[in-house]
Amino acid sequence: MAQDMEQLYQQRLKRYVTAMRNEKPDRVPIRPFVAEFTAKYAGYTCQEVTHDYRLAFEAAVRCAEDFDWDAVVANMVYVWTGLTQAIGLKYYATPGLEIDVNTGFQYREPPEDEAFMQPEDYEALIEDPTGFLFNVWLPRVSTEVVETGSPCTYRNNLSFLKGGMAMLSYFGAFGPQTQRLRTECGTVSAIAGIFKAPFDILADKLRGYLGLTMDLFERPDKVMAACEALMPHLLHVALSGADPEKNVPIGFWMHRGCVPFINRQQWARFYWPTLKPIIEEIWRHGHQVLFYAEGKWLPHLDAFLELPEGSIVFHVDQDDVFEVHRKIGHKFAISGGIPNFLLAYETPDKVRAFCKRLIDEVARDGGYIADASAIMQNEISIENMRVMTESIRDYGVY
Amino acid sequence: MESIPIKTPRPKPGVCIEWDEKRKDLPDIRGDEDLFRRIWEDNEALAYLYIWQVLLSF
Repeated sequence: MAQDMEQLYQQRLKRYVTAMRNEKPDRVPIRPFVAEFTAKYAGYTCQEVTHDYRLAFEAAVRCAEDFDWDAVVANMVYVWTGLTQAIGLKYYATPGLEIDVNTGFQYREPPEDEAFMQPEDYEALIEDPTGFLFNVWLPRVSTEVVETGSPCTYRNNLSFLKGGMAMLSYFGAFGPQTQRLRTECGTVSAIAGIFKAPFDILADKLRGYLGLTMDLFERPDKVMAACEALMPHLLHVALSGADPEKNVPIGFWMHRGCVPFINRQQWARFYWPTLKPIIEEIWRHGHQVLFYAEGKWLPHLDAFLELPEGSIVFHVDQDDVFEVHRKIGHKFAISGGIPNFLLAYETPDKVRAFCKRLIDEVARDGGYIADASAIMQNEISIENMRVMTESIRDYGVY
Repeated sequence: MESIPIKTPRPKPGVCIEWDEKRKDLPDIRGDEDLFRRIWEDNEALAYLYIWQVLLSF
């Protein structure tokens, strides 16, 4: 049995990797990014899988056992709120606390005047990003950590101790979870490592979207210098978590560079010049990057074509997957594009018809990995997930 | 717009406090300095990982 499971794993790994290299495997690989869907399927609340990662791992395995999927993320409910609570992070709404037990965790961006980084902080960030994060940013995002220079507190000390130990516990559990997916389900762990663009980091966690858009006009040189200062660190973090076997890609979660958050001139001046060199450097190390392109990125596809062939896998969210394929499919593999609305609320016949069209037009020459447009939460229909899986399996044989 | 070169900052990525700075706190090293440096940087990497993962993943 173990031998059969290993054979199944190797078969799926080859299928998944071949498609990501923009080549034609034996059939279309299925790699759904299922988050709170796993809780719904396994009978847990969102609170349970978010606050106890062991339950989230269990739910992921349950889905991998029951659905014929080639690859999954070891835990797509990636924010363990036990860890964020230990550190005291204040920007999450936690299921069972601020929101209903059956609502997925939420990120809460503060008002512009309460941004975690203020305009006058740019110099400190540019001078030493790591020091800035520890000394300035962390006390502002945590209910427990006190400002540097303030009297130390019991809770401050516990935040670092518990936070550090909890992070080791959580990250240390991913190895056994990945192995469990392999040996019990024959399923590949879909990504390894994390990357975000310098501009996105400024917008997401530091200045906030509103603050940053004002900075683009009022202090553009500071924005550029901050992005440059973040580049080597974001590269380092991406490479330090990458797959040593160089099979699966580094996950790149793309946020604020898309249309219409910033205009094309801002994208060309700030976002792309500080992103492209990092992707090229990661590729020089032999790793692909999964561009998880949340939102609409069609206006930027020509820029992505400047990247080396095969260096990325482009995941389609709100763009038209057929148009994306026509524009960049000759150079990069594509994933996603199956609308979440379709999987949540439409009929099985419509799901089946869409999957068939997808295979006919996008996957016909290989280079396509089946997935929904966005991360799947608990609104997704279990029946439609079965239909999607069966449709890709039935139609997607080369 | 041309691509921006990736700089090598100080402290270098992967550490919070460079070994060269820590070394100033220590008496003359009688043994293997490379061993001290390696283990210092291994532990520094954990602190570095902590803050950057909080920023990126959580």
